[in-house]
Amino acid sequence: MILVSAAALSILVLTALLLVRETDLHKPTPVSPFQHLDERKAAIYENLRDLQFEFRVGKLSDADYQQTKLDLQRELAQVMAQADQLKSELKLSPQPVTLHEPRPTESVSAATRCSTCGATFPQPLKFCGECGAPMGSQQKGQRA
Amino acid sequence: MENIGALAILLALCVALYAAVASVVGKLKSKPYLILSGERAVLAVWVLITVASGILVYALITGDFHFAYAAGHSNHAMPTLYKFTAWWGGQEGSVLFWGWLLSSYSVIVVLQNQRRHRQMMPYVVAILSGVQSFFLFLSAFLVSPFEVLVSSVTHAITPVVDGLGLNPQLQYPAMAIHPPMLYLGYVGFTVPFAFAMASLITKQKGDAWIHTTRRWTIVAWLFLSVGIILGSGWAYHALGWGGYWAWDPVENASLLPWLSGTAFLHSVMMQEKKGMMKIWNMVLVASTFFLCIFGTFLTRSGVVSSVHAFAQSPIGKYFVGFLTIGIAATVYLILERRKFLKSESHLESVVSRESSFLFNNLVLLASCFAVLWGTLFPVITEALSDEKIGLDKEWFNRLMIPIGLFLLLLTGVGPLFAWRRTSGESLRKNFLVPCAAGLTLAAVLFAGGARSPYGIVALSFCMFVMCAILLEFYRGSRAIHQKDGVNYLKAAIELTHRNTRRYGGYLVHMGIVLMFVGWSGSAFNQNIMADVGIGDTVHIGPYAVEAVDFHTGDNGNYVWDSAELKVSKNGDYLGEMEPEKRLYTVSKQGLTHVAIRTRLNEDLYISLASVEQNGQKLTATLQLWVFPLVTWIWIGTAVLVFGTLVALLPSKVARQYARTEVVGVTRKHAVVES
Repeated sequence: MILVSAAALSILVLTALLLVRETDLHKPTPVSPFQHLDERKAAIYENLRDLQFEFRVGKLSDADYQQTKLDLQRELAQVMAQADQLKSELKLSPQPVTLHEPRPTESVSAATRCSTCGATFPQPLKFCGECGAPMGSQQKGQRA
Repeated sequence: MENIGALAILLALCVALYAAVASVVGKLKSKPYLILSGERAVLAVWVLITVASGILVYALITGDFHFAYAAGHSNHAMPTLYKFTAWWGGQEGSVLFWGWLLSSYSVIVVLQNQRRHRQMMPYVVAILSGVQSFFLFLSAFLVSPFEVLVSSVTHAITPVVDGLGLNPQLQYPAMAIHPPMLYLGYVGFTVPFAFAMASLITKQKGDAWIHTTRRWTIVAWLFLSVGIILGSGWAYHALGWGGYWAWDPVENASLLPWLSGTAFLHSVMMQEKKGMMKIWNMVLVASTFFLCIFGTFLTRSGVVSSVHAFAQSPIGKYFVGFLTIGIAATVYLILERRKFLKSESHLESVVSRESSFLFNNLVLLASCFAVLWGTLFPVITEALSDEKIGLDKEWFNRLMIPIGLFLLLLTGVGPLFAWRRTSGESLRKNFLVPCAAGLTLAAVLFAGGARSPYGIVALSFCMFVMCAILLEFYRGSRAIHQKDGVNYLKAAIELTHRNTRRYGGYLVHMGIVLMFVGWSGSAFNQNIMADVGIGDTVHIGPYAVEAVDFHTGDNGNYVWDSAELKVSKNGDYLGEMEPEKRLYTVSKQGLTHVAIRTRLNEDLYISLASVEQNGQKLTATLQLWVFPLVTWIWIGTAVLVFGTLVALLPSKVARQYARTEVVGVTRKHAVVES
């Protein structure tokens, strides 16, 4: 009885380990070569949003706010430059650093007014220039 | 059955080693089949350890006393709950339990990452399986839970009629879950460590390992915190020596990874926010993991004498070997990859939140080193002079109280500083109210007659930090209230929901402050010891305690003496209290069951030392304490747990990963300098 159980246990384990079929292999989620830069960019936007909020609640002096905002924008510019450099290294077709053309009315209004801080802009933006929160089509990805 | 159990462990060891090797070879040779086979091996290890654990638990519950472990840690009289908890109540079972928990965690990691982090996963599996192999090796060859009782005369398997039972001190509800909580914390830190090392090995750009393991780290930290406090609560409620922390080596062993883990939780924010302190974070996550292993080693090896004297065994040298190899490999890896860990920015100003985090890290690490030094001092002195010199509770208190107070202060100061820089104007704006509140409380306490410097300073700091945290909530809620017109409570909930990590963290800080309020009360403790006969009254503080009667009894599991006491405060009758002293029948071990009257302002705590016949008179020796504010420690723990759970919830505004091509344009400062 013991021998049978031991043999069954061993065979079960070996089968599980060694019987790997083609269909068992999971297709990995593709990883963008820009992922680390996108993460960094998202972190800077988040910092901008935090900065804006802390300024709004009165925790920061105007001078601190302006200086830190400028620093964050500098950092953002550096990350953008790194992304461009990586693009040229990867020989990707250069993307124009411009905004998308205005879309139908609904998405235009969503893309020109930030639902987080209420700031409005003359042209549609993916991210709020005031607080860094996602705008327009980006908001659809947000959790409720 | 014992053969199946032992075989399952041996097979699990082989399969865990296979998982480690297959994953690495699969990665190096680009063989996805081998990598998947390695991941399946992780699942197989879980099945095998579960089979072994099931056999052991079955033997403990059914009282199969031909198992040496069941005979040593279970008996017929024990309630079923404690028969189950005997799984981790002894050396052999607890090592198996460690392995089972790690295996369960590893399975979750593998299932979560079947499609993600495919570069790192082979090494993550290899590291988790490597650690797993070590514990399975111990279970298979050194501390097997499947040893059987063999007669020295006939050499036949000879079961005993009844087992010795679980250590009576462990037969206590909080103690039933204290070890698993600690172990969940200890084992949990293996996952962030594995991802951190895998990230280093594969030279990952970015902070993917931090994002992936953030919840693992917080959960492990939460379990560790709860485990430590449960142990503290057990000492207070069950041991009867009148305290909740004695700087015992095993208590310290659990505190060490908590301190470094707390430092890691803070410093990792610097990396996420500013890309700073990358090497430091690697060092911290590795230190925390190795301190967890070290904690298990201290508890299980008996290298330093402790109240946890149930653990004496020869496994110590294997732990030392494992730690040495692990630390050497980690140090080599960090040094070899240091170029990948270069900071992306620097500290702009000393008066900033970054520097408060730096201070926080330095102080936490200093306290970690101080506790480590104090814990190992007897071992060091014995090695140097053949004489074991232990450091007492006073030594730890002298050192750790000021450090703890400084940390408390930093808890309040940190959120008042802004990231990057804080001008004098901002400082004045943020510090005015909390400082005024703290100083006012100090003046009130002094005017009220309090003279303990530590007590006054601690309570004032608590007030300062509490004000700073409440101010954060108030300011944020006011902004939402003004914008959306909702009431302040809804605004506070909305605020927390928008950034659960930050405001959950503040709630955790609030919990820590409340715990400090409880600890500060110890500066005002009162204590007496008295022999009382029936009808005698003893006084302590405002309380009068009268002995009404003494009782004795036997319930099969233990015999007991108890004292029936009538308690009044300032002449008002409050009720009866009945402290008890037990002697467990089989193990002949004693246990004190204290009587505690708990209120928010203070606890009356009575322990029965003994009941003796003195000539014609029956007398009881009572120890009485008044512990001011101690309940706030347990309330603070509940707040800490709540805050941590809040921090684990996803924020309303989740972090977005913008496409690289898109550039936002700012209304102000449209010209960006490069």
